[in-house]
Amino acid sequence: MRYKQKMNNVEIKMREVLTYDPTQDCKLVGAARALGGIKDAVTIVHARPGCHCGVLLLRALGSNQNDIRIVGSGFRAQDMVYGAEGRLAAAIRLSYKNFKPGLIAVLNCSAPAIMGDDVEGVVRSMKEEIPAEILSLSTGGYEDPAWIGYEETLTELTRFMDNHDKKQRDSVNIIGFKTDEIKAYSDISEIERMLNSQGITVNAVLTNSSFEELKKALRASLNIVLGGDGLESAKMMQDKFDMPYVLTPYPFGLNNSMEFLECVTKGLNKEVNQEFITTERDRIKERIERIFLFLQGIYDISVAVIGDGARAFDLAKFLSDELCLNVKVLAITSRNLISQDKAKDNGDYFETILIEPDRFEMNEEIKSKGVEMIFGSSIEKKLAYELGAPLVRIFYPVLDEVSVSDTPYAGFKGTIQLIENIINSVIHNYAEI
Amino acid sequence: MYEEENEEAGFLRPLINAYSTLPLHGITAIPGKISGALMVVDAIQDAVPLIHGPIGCAFQRKINPFKPYMPFYETPCTDMNDLDVVYGGEDKLSQGIKETYEKYHPNLIVVITTCASDLIGDDFKAVIDETKANGDVGCEVVYTTGDFTAKSKPVGYQDALYAITDQMLCNGVKEEGMDKNEGSVNIVTFPIHGAGLKVEEMASVLNEMGIGINKVCFDHTTVKDLYELPKAELTITDYPMAWTKLMKKRMGIDYYATVRLEAYRDSKDAELLSPYGIEGSEMVFMEIAKRMNKEGEAEEVIDRRKREAIERLYEVRKGLEGKKVAYTGMGGLHSLEVMLLQDMGMKASVIIYNTRGLEQLLSKDAIREVLDISLEWARKYGSDPEILVNPNTEEAIKAMKRTGTDLAVLSSLNNAVHEINKEGIRTFNPLDFMLHHQRIGFECPIELAFQLNDALKKPERRDPLLCMLEYDNCRTNLIPHWAKLADIFMTLREGAIGDTDKATYLK
Repeated sequence: MRYKQKMNNVEIKMREVLTYDPTQDCKLVGAARALGGIKDAVTIVHARPGCHCGVLLLRALGSNQNDIRIVGSGFRAQDMVYGAEGRLAAAIRLSYKNFKPGLIAVLNCSAPAIMGDDVEGVVRSMKEEIPAEILSLSTGGYEDPAWIGYEETLTELTRFMDNHDKKQRDSVNIIGFKTDEIKAYSDISEIERMLNSQGITVNAVLTNSSFEELKKALRASLNIVLGGDGLESAKMMQDKFDMPYVLTPYPFGLNNSMEFLECVTKGLNKEVNQEFITTERDRIKERIERIFLFLQGIYDISVAVIGDGARAFDLAKFLSDELCLNVKVLAITSRNLISQDKAKDNGDYFETILIEPDRFEMNEEIKSKGVEMIFGSSIEKKLAYELGAPLVRIFYPVLDEVSVSDTPYAGFKGTIQLIENIINSVIHNYAEI
Repeated sequence: MYEEENEEAGFLRPLINAYSTLPLHGITAIPGKISGALMVVDAIQDAVPLIHGPIGCAFQRKINPFKPYMPFYETPCTDMNDLDVVYGGEDKLSQGIKETYEKYHPNLIVVITTCASDLIGDDFKAVIDETKANGDVGCEVVYTTGDFTAKSKPVGYQDALYAITDQMLCNGVKEEGMDKNEGSVNIVTFPIHGAGLKVEEMASVLNEMGIGINKVCFDHTTVKDLYELPKAELTITDYPMAWTKLMKKRMGIDYYATVRLEAYRDSKDAELLSPYGIEGSEMVFMEIAKRMNKEGEAEEVIDRRKREAIERLYEVRKGLEGKKVAYTGMGGLHSLEVMLLQDMGMKASVIIYNTRGLEQLLSKDAIREVLDISLEWARKYGSDPEILVNPNTEEAIKAMKRTGTDLAVLSSLNNAVHEINKEGIRTFNPLDFMLHHQRIGFECPIELAFQLNDALKKPERRDPLLCMLEYDNCRTNLIPHWAKLADIFMTLREGAIGDTDKATYLK
């Protein structure tokens, strides 16, 4: 990896070699993640079995195991010659029969896309028979990375939005929320609690809503784009439906939580309810008093943050500004539309930033920086083991930790939970001496 | 208490078990060839994969469907994009091989092709030959496409091993020029098939018979070890492997699969499917001895070892003899039911046949054959069990109670074990035994006897929280949501769908 830029004492590094041990997935997974949050949608992976199995596995290990709506089209080797349009039609039919979904989304993957299966034609022909919306997206693995698949899917969903509903005052949509993140459901509850404290209601979440709720997204007065993911759809809604949006940080920590509320209230021309914030601050103060010695103890330790652009910047900022840890390396595994700007403009809370690095090179970089703790995904387990460093699993995919308790990482409540997990990860980190 | 020598007991076993009930393989999905090939590469210490395809084929496949708790950490790829799909990915492949060598310094690079690179017709062999000829890489490079082994399953696994044998081990090597480790065998097991490397007893018995062990794979196996495989006279595997047949054809190294599916097809002798337990192990050891011309020496060793084991087994199994056991009929395949009857002296009270899933893989006659084998085994050992075909949990419990069943040997992967426990019937997890303990040798039945005795003493599970959930009536371990996924998967995988005119589906 070569130094690309040096700005504000920050090194920005990007991959230059061809071979890539990727830190991000392909377009298919980005689309599947977006669709997975639509509570009554079925995703059909029109692909060889490996792609279907991979997406299913990611979902089953990283999300609610009672809510997997991912179906393969049964694509077999012989279909590489004759096509699998018939199988796809059968998959649509069976998906409707079994789940009665509001939306069926067909993701056309590498093999059928290269072969030229007429997926659009199948979808059109099935529309008369199936009383659900059916859409198809081109998600060949070679087309684009996951974040593009995510953006395109959310943008595609705007096509179904009904512009005839009456606007509801102080009502918002949340864009860029993913139900397969660790703590996703408690995070969205906390975000909603924070918004409610300001007299704001949540209309729809892209995506953690039913298809019907998404269709009524234009009732809201404002779109909140969390960390920049889904920005394209917000822009589309602004252009097409005159729906304003605000870009907010993912509310990790106290400052990001306050900034989140400030952005949203400003977007709605409201005053921030300072009383609520004071109460939450006091609560945080009371809790950290209980463990202040440990907080002093971990002060200044060197950490690496390895995660997606929508959340990793904000976590790094919290770790640096509030917990006073040294973010030696910030690795953005998967960009979004504002990541490059964030990397250039806000570089005072990390030393080195890697943008979509090759995993081999990223690991080498982290190993060379004296990192003592990692904030990453399950895939960083081996690196953490090699460094003897604790790993806080906070970024997608987390496949070896479950979260079903009401303990968010986001928001004011999440600040306490994060601190608790961070300290515990350090003091649990056992090594035989 | 039996002293387990199993290192997995304290740490890995619960971890492995935590993921073992994921209803994936053949139930709701099938892992692709890349995952199987990665299993092979991952098992060779100094090998690195290079996935010739888009990033998703590398990132998504980090999640190991065979061992979800253990990702494939290194999955470099050629980052194939839409331009490559149009103009070809050969330059990228060549560059990728060079870079992979420079970064990882492996002794072997296994190029794993993907849908994209397969379909566009990249000439993998030519690229690899040319890259090697240019002197840019100082290691072996082979490629696996999934097409070398006529779809033998698991495809990626079979194909990668075949590719290594074809392109590396047997490539240009003359049989007569090869150093030999006279009178020795290779023992090749693979973690994909359960207890894997528990071959200490087998090796010890063979040694005593005068048979040397050339290599045990895959156990910290290196490329150098692979090169030494052809020094042996015989390669022993658990299941039939295409690569061992190739090695026999090219280099004259005989092979022997302990589960003798091919021999069974000709003879219909069900014992050939049961290499475990006292009798099964004896059969395996005698067969190896025969192939190594060591029958004379072997007979004495096997008789003595068997006698000693039986003496100990009879002591240990005292609490088990005559106990009534319910189990899933597997036709002897995996042998646990045979061990229950033959080695433990237990009586079959209920045999449960779960044919769902099998219906998509086997013909009706073949399913009938599997069922018949199970019943024959039971009758041979003096049992007259109740037979239940695809029962729901209530029917299964009723039959167990009616027959006075002492123990149900049923896995949570296919059965609502918690409901059975709640009704006061104790259970033993066969999947756990197969994954962690089952192996060839006379000690294994003794271990099983200890475990079964422990299972009979397990405290009652009075109020399992799992009983709060609603389960599917047919797929009794799955909630209705997953049962639907399984139903859809099975229907779409049916051969008939692929073979029917697609227009039918558009009607």
